[in-house]
Amino acid sequence: MAAASTAPAMDTTVTYPPPVHPRALDYTASILPGVIANESELTANVRIEPGQQYGFFTDTSLCIGCKACEVACKEWNALPADDMALTGHSYDNTGALSATTWRHVLFIEQISTDGQRATAMPPFQSNWLMMSDVCRHCAHAACVEACPTGALFYTEFHTVVVQQDICNGCGYCVPACPFNVIELSAIDGKAHKCTLCYDRLKGGLEPACAKACPTNSIQFGELSELEGRAQRRVADLHSRGVTNAYLYGAPGAPGATNGIGPLHAFFLLLDRPEVYNLPAEPSLPSRRIRPGLLSGLAAMAGLIVAAVAAFARE
Amino acid sequence: MSAYQRAPYGAWERQGRRERERLAGEGAGERVDGRAQPPSYYGRPAVKASQYRWLIASYLFVGGLAGAAQVLAAVADLFGRERDRPVVRAGRYVALAGALLSSIFLIADLHTPQRWYNMLRIFRRTSPMSFGSWTLATFGTFSGLAAAAQALEDLWGRRLPGRVLARLFGLPAAAAGVVMSYYTGILLSATSTPLWAAAYRLLPALFATSAMSTATAALSLLTTAAGVPKSVRRRLERIALAASAAELALTLAAGWVWHRRGQYRPLTEEPYASAYRFGALGLGILVPLAAHSGQVLGLWESAVASSLAAAAALAGGYIQRAVLLFAGNESARRPEAYLRLTQPAAGLRGDDWALRQKGQALLRGIAAEDVR
Repeated sequence: MAAASTAPAMDTTVTYPPPVHPRALDYTASILPGVIANESELTANVRIEPGQQYGFFTDTSLCIGCKACEVACKEWNALPADDMALTGHSYDNTGALSATTWRHVLFIEQISTDGQRATAMPPFQSNWLMMSDVCRHCAHAACVEACPTGALFYTEFHTVVVQQDICNGCGYCVPACPFNVIELSAIDGKAHKCTLCYDRLKGGLEPACAKACPTNSIQFGELSELEGRAQRRVADLHSRGVTNAYLYGAPGAPGATNGIGPLHAFFLLLDRPEVYNLPAEPSLPSRRIRPGLLSGLAAMAGLIVAAVAAFARE
Repeated sequence: MSAYQRAPYGAWERQGRRERERLAGEGAGERVDGRAQPPSYYGRPAVKASQYRWLIASYLFVGGLAGAAQVLAAVADLFGRERDRPVVRAGRYVALAGALLSSIFLIADLHTPQRWYNMLRIFRRTSPMSFGSWTLATFGTFSGLAAAAQALEDLWGRRLPGRVLARLFGLPAAAAGVVMSYYTGILLSATSTPLWAAAYRLLPALFATSAMSTATAALSLLTTAAGVPKSVRRRLERIALAASAAELALTLAAGWVWHRRGQYRPLTEEPYASAYRFGALGLGILVPLAAHSGQVLGLWESAVASSLAAAAALAGGYIQRAVLLFAGNESARRPEAYLRLTQPAAGLRGDDWALRQKGQALLRGIAAEDVR
């Protein structure tokens, strides 16, 4: 409240979104003759180094539903077009993440409450929720744990990538993922998902979707820095009366539960996770292995004893 | 009022956990209280269904049968008499045939089958598919060697070396067979598919008993066709009775768990409901249970009844695996099933989440000018 009332002419204590890097002033032309070294310093205020943990903080309170992230992702990764039909689900004609869609924008119109049509639109978000869905790049990913060939692995940036020359399309990662992300491609018979632009990271560029996002809703950065920024943003929103805001996928928050670990792509959401089709408390599937091993072994042991008794008598 | 309190599903989260489970179990949402079901995003799936169809359903059946058959052969070899040799013989050949068929089904199901050998690149203990592939490889190799040694006795008449070698290879094959018989239950449970994940403790045990039941049925049919004394058949029947009884108990337990966690819905809708009730339960469990208990209690004595019961057990066992696979895929397509399964165990009230409290604490600690 104090910041709003003083309203300085030039605010130099901007912390959110991050300020423009001084080096950016050297590159003001939009068409560049060559590659800028460490471009992510200019565009995302982060220098990409192997060994650090990188990810996305997607602030859905800033999303305007322009789908630039979907387009940039498709363009950079040369992904084929999907079905061109209209779904009838608000402005979401993409549907879901798939083998050929690695960014998917959700649109939730909360027009009425309790069956009564809204007569007043709150100034914040106007009863619309928009969220850009992406692979979470979980710290302990269910897909990596499920992969029997080793095609899925953790990169030097602690992201999760499928090696296309190893995957044999067994399809076990598909039902294992708790977040509806990875899918087998019908075109080439292998599993595909967001790579967090692994190729761009190696070149010092921030991911395509984060670069394209016009409102900086998708923020790329080093994970601990993003988490600090996200916590401050939640506190800021709470102070402005948006008490629904919370983090999904940050350490200890819904989504990063039961062994999945913090999600490298975490979100600031404004409603219950189920509204966005997200599980409130997902769990790592491999935790269900040991109880199953023991119970099956017990059943077999009992039946083997019965078999021994049957053959040994008389 | 925050969105948590205003939302139409507010009634859902204000219930205590017991009440939520009761509502979830009673098909929340379809009842008068439409606010008792968690919302979803336009009814779109919240988790992806597996791509497994008939090839994998067939593998679930054949793999379990083969593993349990090798176990039965080992038990009959170690503890049986000379008259039980047909069971040993049949068990070893069925195990090999099953291992070969399983490999064919699995490789054919891969979406890039020419890279099937990549399954043996690594051993990942957190992946049932990884340790399952290694188990199948081990089981197939040792079953092949055991069957070859058995053939040494059967076709070339070398009894002593044949039996010694067959037992030498048959014991590790049987050890792998124990895992073969039920690891597919773990494979299904270690996913995010609601139907399978909800019954993760019972599904592997259920598959173990089903594998034993179908293996006993297969060996019983084969030995009866080859002509064995009644005593051998009765021995197999006692094992089949134990397996069927255990399978019935586990099926009822699984049904109870699914009911309590609100996941029973796919199994109560056609086409899964009839197939499950009449095929899996009726043919697969109740018919063999009735027939074998009659035999064991001495109420009747009929080779034809035994054979029919064995055939029913085989058919019912296959139907059970197929129904559980396809109904599981169907449960993955229903967002309310997955979102209900992943509700927090503790009561969910808007102000209880740790981060909201952290946000409040941060708010108190951060100076005003740092918050823009």
